[in-house]
Amino acid sequence: MAQVPVQTIHRDPQLFYWILFPITIVMILTGILRHYATVLMSSAPKPLDLRSTREQRSLLHGISLRSNFHALSRRSFHTRRDVVITAYESGAYLKDPDRKGQPPANPMTDPSSMDGMMGMMKNQMAMIIPNTLIMSWINAFFSGYVIMKLPFPLTIKFKSMLQAGVGTKDMDPRWMSSISWYFLCMFGLQSVFNFLLGNDNAASQMAQQMGQMGPQAPQMFGPGVDPNKQFLAEAENLAVIEHHSVLDGVEQRLLEGIRI
Amino acid sequence: MAPSLIRSPVQLPPAEALTLSQQAPAILQSSPSTVSSSALSSLFSAAEKPELWIQYENLILSCLRTGDDRAAQECLNRLVARFGNNDRVMALGGLIKEAQAQNNGELETILKEYDQMLEQNNANLPIMKRRIALLRSMGRLSDAGSALVQLLDFSPTDSEAWSELSDLYFSQGLYPQAIYAMEEVLILAPNAWNVRNATVKQSKPYANGSSQVHARLGELQYMAATASGVINGSYQKQMAEAIKRFSRSIELCDDYLRGYYGLKLVTKRLLKDNTKPAGKVDDEDFTLPDSSTIERLNELATAKLAEIVRHSSAQDRGWKGYDAAEVAAARELLSEDAPSGIER
Repeated sequence: MAQVPVQTIHRDPQLFYWILFPITIVMILTGILRHYATVLMSSAPKPLDLRSTREQRSLLHGISLRSNFHALSRRSFHTRRDVVITAYESGAYLKDPDRKGQPPANPMTDPSSMDGMMGMMKNQMAMIIPNTLIMSWINAFFSGYVIMKLPFPLTIKFKSMLQAGVGTKDMDPRWMSSISWYFLCMFGLQSVFNFLLGNDNAASQMAQQMGQMGPQAPQMFGPGVDPNKQFLAEAENLAVIEHHSVLDGVEQRLLEGIRI
Repeated sequence: MAPSLIRSPVQLPPAEALTLSQQAPAILQSSPSTVSSSALSSLFSAAEKPELWIQYENLILSCLRTGDDRAAQECLNRLVARFGNNDRVMALGGLIKEAQAQNNGELETILKEYDQMLEQNNANLPIMKRRIALLRSMGRLSDAGSALVQLLDFSPTDSEAWSELSDLYFSQGLYPQAIYAMEEVLILAPNAWNVRNATVKQSKPYANGSSQVHARLGELQYMAATASGVINGSYQKQMAEAIKRFSRSIELCDDYLRGYYGLKLVTKRLLKDNTKPAGKVDDEDFTLPDSSTIERLNELATAKLAEIVRHSSAQDRGWKGYDAAEVAAARELLSEDAPSGIER
């Protein structure tokens, strides 16, 4: 079988200086700019008021009682359980007990949750605007020719993405145009930003997107969650616990475990 | 372990606190007096480290203990310059003022200031705690108690506050309440490496917090049982739980002096009483183990205590770090047992 001849294309070395470098530098600078824009735009989290702190921490208290009941003796666990379940079911810990049983307020009208939404909006905007600008800049200036060859083979599917604007049918998809260099930079600059700005930077949008894609933990105290339902569920969880204690038979364990 | 400014200096003996506070001038000189929080300058200067601020905070505590008010004030100024007046810095400022107060009248004014701060922001936990501590040190125990209960009503997940409440009740002789509060600590931190708990002394540097809490509970149960002087059903129940708590604390931390001490104390008392375990009364409560088990536990505790006392008075490797007072107490307990006295 005949070898497929290796395609070679003579490129002007100036391409390297005038396309690869500028794109990389622009990407890095945009990342840094985005980081500081996010820092400047972010508002300090609003301190919780007394009632909502109470609501949240009471629920957490019940949860820790449920998970660590084994440290208690049976009697003291039962006493606590009765107290907690009664309080949960009567809604004593609710932020506003009058609203018990009503559907949760529309998160859009709640000013405290609006803050969170605004923050998310700002972040999204800080991501979308620069990306759109840079992409159109690259498309306007640098489209229509290839600039480098990837060191690894790719399937034909990548052709339309990597060689956007290059109308050559049988060119190896390893040849890529400037827009694909842009994509590589976008995905690959995370470590550079970590180096420049520290670990918790807001420069790269990739981390945030990953966070959105991952399995989302059930939101505990967010807007739109009915605390009364949470309390009732927790009361039910507590009620079904079969009590056992670490103190059961601890003397025997000790006598067997420790040799003099 | 060498004293370090990164760890909280709550449990340091005086000598180590002194060495820490003597480092103050060097630390204050070596770190820049202001760290700008603006975005632009952080590009050029070295990044600020969170450790620095923890260091300042702990330095304030050590310096106040050793009377170096000037260095403490300097640390506070730097914290204020960086963070403004947030809750924690406000509490530290209050602490310094309390330390500098000369008489009761000044303390009263500080208390009023705290009240004002709490009126502005009634969810200010650090200030709330400072106020409680101040009330307690001024001797107004019942006020401190009610303030603590109020705090715990809206923040029931605060193990520090629960253990303070337990100690407060204990100092007033209210054992059942003290036990309840201590059990809350245990719920919140069943496996904690280090519960911030000034009342529970560490007799072994690496004794973990949870085993301390268990031992403390055992002590409380024992005191509650013996305080009334009446031998009844609840006496047996509490003694049984005390044995179990001490055993658990030893299980969590080998060679835990306090645990063995308590175990020995309880079993000795039970053997002297010669009480028979009451018939199964209630499924809810613990029952005493049979007398042979108690005897074996007593023997174990005696042997272990003797071992600890021997090794730690000989300053053997790996046996350092026991509190000298506690070792002395253990030695005394052992010598009560054997009139001939034990070998050192």
